[in-house]
Amino acid sequence: MIQLKNLSKVFRTELIETHALRQIELQVSEGEFVALTGPSGSGKSTLLNVLGTLEHFDEGDYLLDGQSVRGLSDRQLSALRNEKIGFIFQGFNLIKDYSLLDNIELPLRYRGISASDRKRRALEALELVGLAARKDYHPSQLSGGQQQRVAIARAIAGQPRILLADEPTGNLDSLMARQVMELLEQINRQGCTILMVTHDPDQARRASRQVQIVDGQLSDAAMYDPLAAKLA
Amino acid sequence: MSLHLLLQSLLRRKVVTGLLLVQLAMTLALLLNSIVLAGQTWQKLHEDTGLDLTNSLTVELKPTTPALRQYPALADLLERQMAAVRALPGVVAVAYSNQPPLQRGGTNGNLYDPDNQERSNINNVPVYQVSKDFFDVLQIKVLEGELPQAPLLKDGEDISPLVLTQSLAQKLFPNGSAVGRQTNAGTVAAVVDDFYGQRNGVNSNYNRIQVAPLYSVDWGYNLLVRTEPGQADAVQAQLAKVLQQVDSNIEILYLRSFNEEHNRLYRNEFGLAVLLGLLSVLMLLVTMVSSYSNAHFHALKRQQEIGIKRALGASKNMIFMELFCENWLNTVAGAMLGAVAALALNQGLSAVVSIPAISWWLPLLATLVLLICVSAATWYPARIATSVSPATATKTL
Amino acid sequence: MEQFFYYLKVSWVSIKRAPLPYALTVFILSLGLGVFFANATFYYQLNSDPLPHKSDKLFFPMMMLVPYECADCKPPSVLSYANVQKLKSSDIPTAEAAMYSSDGYLRLDSTALPTPVKVRLTEPDFFHMLEVPLLHGAIWPDSKNRQEIVLSKAMAEKMFGSTDVVGKQLLLDDRSFAVVAVLDDWQMLPRLYDANNGNHVNEVEDVYIPLETGYDLNYLSNTQSQTFDDADYRKLASDGRSKALHQLQYWVQLDTEAQQQAYQQFMANLAEDEKKAGRHPSPVNNQLPAMRNIVAYFGGESGDIKAFALVTLLFLVVCLFNASHLSLNRYLSNQYEFSLRRALGASRWQLQQQMLADVLLMTVFAISGALLIGFGGTALMNYLWPINALFARWDLTLMLFLLALTFAASYLVTLYPALRASFGALNQQLKE
Ligand SMILES: Nc1ncnc2c1ncn2[C@@H]1O[C@H](COP(=O)(O)OP(=O)(O)OP(=O)(O)O)[C@@H](O)[C@H]1O
Ligand SMILES: [Mg+2]
Repeated sequence: MIQLKNLSKVFRTELIETHALRQIELQVSEGEFVALTGPSGSGKSTLLNVLGTLEHFDEGDYLLDGQSVRGLSDRQLSALRNEKIGFIFQGFNLIKDYSLLDNIELPLRYRGISASDRKRRALEALELVGLAARKDYHPSQLSGGQQQRVAIARAIAGQPRILLADEPTGNLDSLMARQVMELLEQINRQGCTILMVTHDPDQARRASRQVQIVDGQLSDAAMYDPLAAKLA
Repeated sequence: MSLHLLLQSLLRRKVVTGLLLVQLAMTLALLLNSIVLAGQTWQKLHEDTGLDLTNSLTVELKPTTPALRQYPALADLLERQMAAVRALPGVVAVAYSNQPPLQRGGTNGNLYDPDNQERSNINNVPVYQVSKDFFDVLQIKVLEGELPQAPLLKDGEDISPLVLTQSLAQKLFPNGSAVGRQTNAGTVAAVVDDFYGQRNGVNSNYNRIQVAPLYSVDWGYNLLVRTEPGQADAVQAQLAKVLQQVDSNIEILYLRSFNEEHNRLYRNEFGLAVLLGLLSVLMLLVTMVSSYSNAHFHALKRQQEIGIKRALGASKNMIFMELFCENWLNTVAGAMLGAVAALALNQGLSAVVSIPAISWWLPLLATLVLLICVSAATWYPARIATSVSPATATKTL
Repeated sequence: MEQFFYYLKVSWVSIKRAPLPYALTVFILSLGLGVFFANATFYYQLNSDPLPHKSDKLFFPMMMLVPYECADCKPPSVLSYANVQKLKSSDIPTAEAAMYSSDGYLRLDSTALPTPVKVRLTEPDFFHMLEVPLLHGAIWPDSKNRQEIVLSKAMAEKMFGSTDVVGKQLLLDDRSFAVVAVLDDWQMLPRLYDANNGNHVNEVEDVYIPLETGYDLNYLSNTQSQTFDDADYRKLASDGRSKALHQLQYWVQLDTEAQQQAYQQFMANLAEDEKKAGRHPSPVNNQLPAMRNIVAYFGGESGDIKAFALVTLLFLVVCLFNASHLSLNRYLSNQYEFSLRRALGASRWQLQQQMLADVLLMTVFAISGALLIGFGGTALMNYLWPINALFARWDLTLMLFLLALTFAASYLVTLYPALRASFGALNQQLKE
């Protein structure tokens, strides 16, 4: 469902050009759980952002469900993001001023779903991450692990087909990290495609596929990934 | 955008929002009261005075030597002056009067029906001693009776009959005609059209006129002049010189068109309206600056929040609208507070100046003005805010 | 000192980095202060007390000594000659003076052009009570009819070209008067001795003649005069003295509490006696307002100035709030630098000094702006309300007040954001 063709991304500042992504070729099929690894500054987050249409790219093409995202307007991109993609950030990125429920409802709101439906689905998602009892809390009243679970609930409430997670366990201790991983696996089992950036080799091994990125390029290990090779 | 969420995020910034509301409220209160005051002044400046304001002039003067202030020397002076003015091109009619119309106060006295003193007494009725052309100069129509043509003297005492304006006559003699009736000041000879006499009187249309010699010119006297249409300025420019030529032993205290006199009546109101209006504009300016800085600041401070929302699928337009809605909500809430504040200010002002009450549609109008100003000021910062890169904003360092 | 210049330089650099927010802050602050100051000038001057040590000892007795009956009338605000004589029968006051004003024409001789003048017709105590400074000559010993004139310094200079003109003759309305005294510079603002009908905003008179001379020569009052019987205004010498022709202000000086009480008692007794004699048909209503309160008593406080004062005060508050908000935004955008300084070891004290430099700079800018706007504002108000023109004066007290106010405002505007910026959680800011 995701197809990157020869995709490149360059950051230009006054002083330097950073080739964050170079000629990326990547295909991800429905239901996969892809772990994205690589050294710091190698372009993992950038790749994820491009996949999430948060960032534009310079060359190549990105096909989502067979359709190119090139040339889509801001509104179309936003709608696409809203309906198909869920984000989990390393820093949780919950909105401080909103209650948990409001945070989770937010993407549904942008989709124009009715209030009662919204509430039902948000509660279901909260239920799934085991925080339904605290639906009226504010993010600052939760622990880091709990906040990340809320972030996950928000990401899945809209039942996206793709979940993009950038070091979702980076700020958590190992117990919490395991819980979050289990949650992601459970979501994956329900059919959601997941791309997750991680530094933890154990976590990476639990994914159905590992992709490594070095200096903006998919490294050999990934290139010769049997599954990827087969699909290509 | 959801009202509920907007309210929630506003409530979490109580101090700043509160202060902003107070400011909006004060702006609206001031704006409203300025409008009301300006409206009142405008109305007063356009009221019907019963006089031809543009084509009438008044000149106040006083003889500088006591000899000229005594009759018969004075009568001679008056005749010479009026004749000279009448001879000026563009002059239609001229008359003397102890005081001009359109004044705050002046010479006045009480007037009553001697048969019914208690109930008919009217205080502060302006008293005019004029030459017979007075009515012609002011173009006042006779409604009843006949205008006296000359002073009436008895044993050297002036017993000239009275000419009353219509509303005064009706007030004094509610039942039937006033002509021929006796008052404490003499017999009524005629009733004429209303005209604006003195503002401080019971009713500015109450006037009592006698065709009579001037009572005393120690307080000065006036020559009233009516000109042909469009000739007022030309005549005004020559009057002083002509009068000096007739007799130089005079001081010209002032020379004004009736229009000027009328404007002077409401000078204080006009001044206050101008100042309040100016202040309202400044206040709007300040509100715009504050809306601008507020929106700008928020855009900066909430970059992350906006980034998250963008990542979750909010388009630029949605964010833009959201920022605007927040501002509008603030403005409308401030406007509601402002309506209350306006009433309070209205009360406060009415204790020191006369100001009419606020009508219901004015707050709506003022709110609209406020909304437009706030929107204009929010535009640029909101544009900037929406161009926040979601990738950067959601990045954690 | 050098350190201080360093702080100023740092302030200046941070202003230059973001000039628009700073300019807006200063602009809004100046606007609020300037507008407030323009109105405060009039408010302060109109309400100032020209005789602070004495204005609570001078009183204006007013009684219902009138031929008409009125249950809830205020006593007339001008007195008749006859009533003043009745009040003068008391020897309780330390000083007393009746007075009114009129118009006249001065000239050196019958060939000269007339100079219109305002004349005050009064008694010798007028000059003592109000502490009028004398340059040359002496005031008349009493107020009997004499063709003797007292001139203001300006008028003496205008008529004769010099001030030492005692003994010289001139014509007042074609009658010959001898100059007996010349006053030194004197301006009583507001002119509290004649405050009826808002007259306190006028200038003091340039020419003074004895009260009795005024009555004998038929000088008609040029302000309020009213009659409650058939008195002829033009017959001051006869009707004016005996009938109910009211036109006089009358001031008595009562130095002590005891004197004041005794005088109240005297007025009460007088009212009773008059009642018995059938000359006081109305209920007793004796008033003895002090000079300090006379404008309020006559209801002559300027409503417009007051209304505008209310509004400018609101405006100042709004501007202050706005300026501090703007300044907060500015500080928050500079916060990183602030925190860095702290992290690099600047003490709170040093940061406070830095802040003081900021405040001083802001004060300098704001006061320049405020003075400009204040100047424009007073000019505009003078144009719109020329009646108050005499009161558009800036004196030292006012200027100091403005300076203090500006400093306080700048401090407020700088303090709150600076505190937030400098004493906030250090770590968090460095992280952000
Ligand atoms: N907005 C930007 N402007 C300029 N360069 C950028 C920008 N964002 C990222 N880069 C550069 O792009 C490269 C890739 O960054 P990226 O954030 O994708 O790294 P990463 O693999 O996620 O690293 P980490 O594991 O540390 O999070 C880096 O060299 C970074 O400096
Ligand atoms: Mg990263």
